[in-house]
Amino acid sequence: MSNAIYAALARQSGLMTEMQVVANNLANSSTTGYKSDRAIFAEFVAGTSNNLSDLSMGTLSGHSYDLEQGGLRFTGGSFDLAVQGEGYFLIETPQGQRLTRAGHFQLNAQAELIDAAGNRVLNAGGGPIQIPEEATNVSIAGDGTISFEGVIIDQVGVVAPEGQMMRAGNAMFTADDGFQQVEEPKVVQGALEQSNVSPVLEIARMIEVQRAYEAGQAMIEREDDRIAKFISTLRQL
Amino acid sequence: MKSLQIAATGMAAQQLRVDVISNNIANMSTAAYRPRTAEFSDLMYQQYLTPGTISSQVGTVVPAGVQLGTGVKPSSVSMEITQGSLRQTGSELDLAIDGTGFLEVQLPSGESAYTRDGKLNRSAEGQIVTKDGFELADGITIPEDARRISISTDGEVVAYFASEAQGQPIGTISLVRFVNEKGLEAMGDNMFRETEASGSPNRLVPATEGVGILRQGYLEDSGVDVVQEISELIEAQRGYELNSKVITAADEMLAATTRVR
Repeated sequence: MSNAIYAALARQSGLMTEMQVVANNLANSSTTGYKSDRAIFAEFVAGTSNNLSDLSMGTLSGHSYDLEQGGLRFTGGSFDLAVQGEGYFLIETPQGQRLTRAGHFQLNAQAELIDAAGNRVLNAGGGPIQIPEEATNVSIAGDGTISFEGVIIDQVGVVAPEGQMMRAGNAMFTADDGFQQVEEPKVVQGALEQSNVSPVLEIARMIEVQRAYEAGQAMIEREDDRIAKFISTLRQL
Repeated sequence: MKSLQIAATGMAAQQLRVDVISNNIANMSTAAYRPRTAEFSDLMYQQYLTPGTISSQVGTVVPAGVQLGTGVKPSSVSMEITQGSLRQTGSELDLAIDGTGFLEVQLPSGESAYTRDGKLNRSAEGQIVTKDGFELADGITIPEDARRISISTDGEVVAYFASEAQGQPIGTISLVRFVNEKGLEAMGDNMFRETEASGSPNRLVPATEGVGILRQGYLEDSGVDVVQEISELIEAQRGYELNSKVITAADEMLAATTRVR
């Protein structure tokens, strides 16, 4: 087959993947604490069989997370927390510690602070957060300090990853290189951080991907015609 | 093509959001109703290329890796703990709870249920019952010849007889608190049931330990904020449309593929 078709096919499969990334962003446009995703393509040079010239192709090589702050939605819930600026809440899951910006927390039957999936939220020291059972109007200050009737109970941990983060589903990230406490966190009580997906950008990208894909298909068709014509010309000679 | 399935999960999520909103709006006049909110989270990711591994093409270390998301799922539909506004009715057996507590109701099965709907009545035997006829767990019977009764903010029920100026205490209405009210199971008819997530009920005298106080002659309105619900509804509708656009685009891409000979 012609090299042009190989290069076009690599691009087509990349565009299909990019469409998947756009679809996932749009599906998560209402997910609390979701950070939108960008696919990064990189050129790689593949050796061709006849050693005449190398062929350059594009492949999906990585991601960049758009870590921009999502808008805050005020809910009034006393355990609905949002981080403004740098940092993530620290969650203890059966698979290990996870970072998240989705602060839709509540208490379990033992009055420990948990997330929507029942995982414990950790404090600045990495331990679970226990709220006194009689506490009704717990206030959480900007630095994450939890207090009830003027008495400080605990402090919500806000951490920043030291290296790359990986997505772990449930609006959570893993940080394999560890993390450290954010020195001056800004926690907002009674608010949730909305998804930072921008529908306009996503739709624009979706149209771009779709048109590029159609252009690629047209190119493959024309290349096919060219080869067909070439063969029929050869036959007439 | 996964984009189709991903967009379908997005449409299903927005559909669920509309369902929750419509139930809230339908209950905008239900006494003491607490609105629910649907929360979502992203589904698991497929690891195509783990960061830190050596790339096969050029032998460099992959810095960010390739992870592809697979859509969205509902993570919780939880009750908002907001106090509805109190409406004065003047009726002596209307009780509003100003705080976080619940009234305990005795079901005929022997089970307990919990409600914040304080529209109470007197049964034929003189017992204090809810509007569906379930007895309050405090088991207070109003004497037949009582002229009127008064209920204080801390739950004490006092009956006044014919010509006496002094009333006689006939019992106390207690309130129940849960560690995690959001974990209660809604039974319909404005009632809730205790679950493992809510914790066990803690019976308290009103006005103690933050359980709230009782207001005689008032009812708690529904906590639904119609303006907020409508704006959420519009948002959900647009979210649904966005996801359906992805389906159209993905379909057109597939159509382009099938056109190739």
